[in-house]
Amino acid sequence: MTPPTDSAPAPDESRPAPSAEPAITARDLVKTFTGRSGTVEAVRGVNLTVNHGEVFGFLGPNGAGKSTTVRMLTTLTGITGGSATVAGVDVATDPDGVRHKIGVALQEAGLDMRQTGRELVVLQARLFGLSRADARKRAEELLELVELTEAADRLIKGYSGGMKRRLDLASALVHRPDVLFLDEPTTGLDPASRVVVWDEVRRINAKGTTVFLTTQYLEEADQLCERLAIIDDGTIVTEGTPASLKADLRARRGLDADPTLDDVFLDVTGRQRERRAGEVSEVAS
Amino acid sequence: MKTVLILGERAVREAKRTPDALLPTLLIPIFFLIVNTGQAAKIFPTGSTPFLEGQSYAAFQLPATLLLAASFGTAALYLVEEIENGYFDKLRATPISRGSLAMGRLSAEALKSSLMTIVILLIALPFGIRISSGPIGVVLLVVLTAGWAVGYSGFLQFVALKTRNAAATNSASLIFFPLLFLTPNFVPRNLLARPMEIAATLNPVTYMMEALRSLILVDLDWAVIGKGFAVVAGFVVITVYANIRTMAKYD
Repeated sequence: MTPPTDSAPAPDESRPAPSAEPAITARDLVKTFTGRSGTVEAVRGVNLTVNHGEVFGFLGPNGAGKSTTVRMLTTLTGITGGSATVAGVDVATDPDGVRHKIGVALQEAGLDMRQTGRELVVLQARLFGLSRADARKRAEELLELVELTEAADRLIKGYSGGMKRRLDLASALVHRPDVLFLDEPTTGLDPASRVVVWDEVRRINAKGTTVFLTTQYLEEADQLCERLAIIDDGTIVTEGTPASLKADLRARRGLDADPTLDDVFLDVTGRQRERRAGEVSEVAS
Repeated sequence: MKTVLILGERAVREAKRTPDALLPTLLIPIFFLIVNTGQAAKIFPTGSTPFLEGQSYAAFQLPATLLLAASFGTAALYLVEEIENGYFDKLRATPISRGSLAMGRLSAEALKSSLMTIVILLIALPFGIRISSGPIGVVLLVVLTAGWAVGYSGFLQFVALKTRNAAATNSASLIFFPLLFLTPNFVPRNLLARPMEIAATLNPVTYMMEALRSLILVDLDWAVIGKGFAVVAGFVVITVYANIRTMAKYD
């Protein structure tokens, strides 16, 4: 992928050459939750392959199983059925091995509000085994990368939403992960902050990191992702490059012009948008 | 061990930044010390009350004060906050052992409790309370109380992990009060009414209190002190194990 920003750095030469193995594989991945109200099958047999160095988009409506899939791949929740590997390591049998190779920035930027930005990144680096001195050095580099050097010694609770997202990204990169998982990294951000996060993602990817991104914003997927999969009701309903998915829909429907990714999304999920009491919502057709 | 210290250092930093949360844990136990002593000191005058061993009734009440202060840990409530805002998941995604994750905040509770115990002892000394077991006794007193703080905070942290709810965790912390009132809190065990004596004998907190009281009033009575340490050791092992198991299965 050619990064669209001029400021994108050259690929990181210290990074080992990517292996021929895919960065992520999932085979018949299943997750069920059992509660007082019964059993819910949140993910129902997901199969996917993400190649090294790509930005892979994982789209779907609310409750489709995006976050649950990410939580399984990042070892945060157990796998009920099927198997998955990340950076060549089996998620179920060697979760610690996976944790060494991944960076994780989950929904709503989980941060410790009572620390400063610098303290948070240093702490994260130390938990990945860096010495105090190396952790400080790495934090300096990352805070500069996400343009938070000036705010580094302020408490995080005073940061704006965009700054928190960028800090979360920085803390996910302390150990130079092979694969970076971003779960709805721009939800709730204003358009300007969203563009800043997109630039960061491109820069990170340009350094060789595989990015697995979930999003509800189809424009975001169109801007960032080389390939994407759409999940609905716990199963993947389509997969491909944004261009191929649009071309496929155009051919199937005999459209005069290229459809948008939004059209593709509505087509494969069988949804349509409806305005009710002034609110636009997705409803099943 | 290194990661426990790293996470403990963070929790200490957090405590320094939230003095509002620390102050009541010092003031409320001292309030109980003053009120309980004020209510019962005239009934138990120093000269004619053998179980006071020549000290004031405040010295007899001091163990309850220390235990109460050690039971006001903030680890569990901060953990619920981190579960709710997602930072706990961020920590779980790092390659550190689940044991370190459980012990990080608890190690800070041990340090906070030690400092709190020293402060309460310093406040108590001008009022004529002496530690009869000497400097070794003071160290044992601090270690024993810190151990209790780790065990009790571990119990609350376990509730936090299970319920992921601040209100439930807060409610669980109140369990200390019935346990405290089922101890020989106001008089020695042999002076309690029979049903209360049985209840106190079955209550592990009794042995903690008697060990602390022995260090303050008597001397190094290893049989009594040993029971206190055995209770604390068992309590810490059970609660830390429960934390690690819950973290390992956390979904």
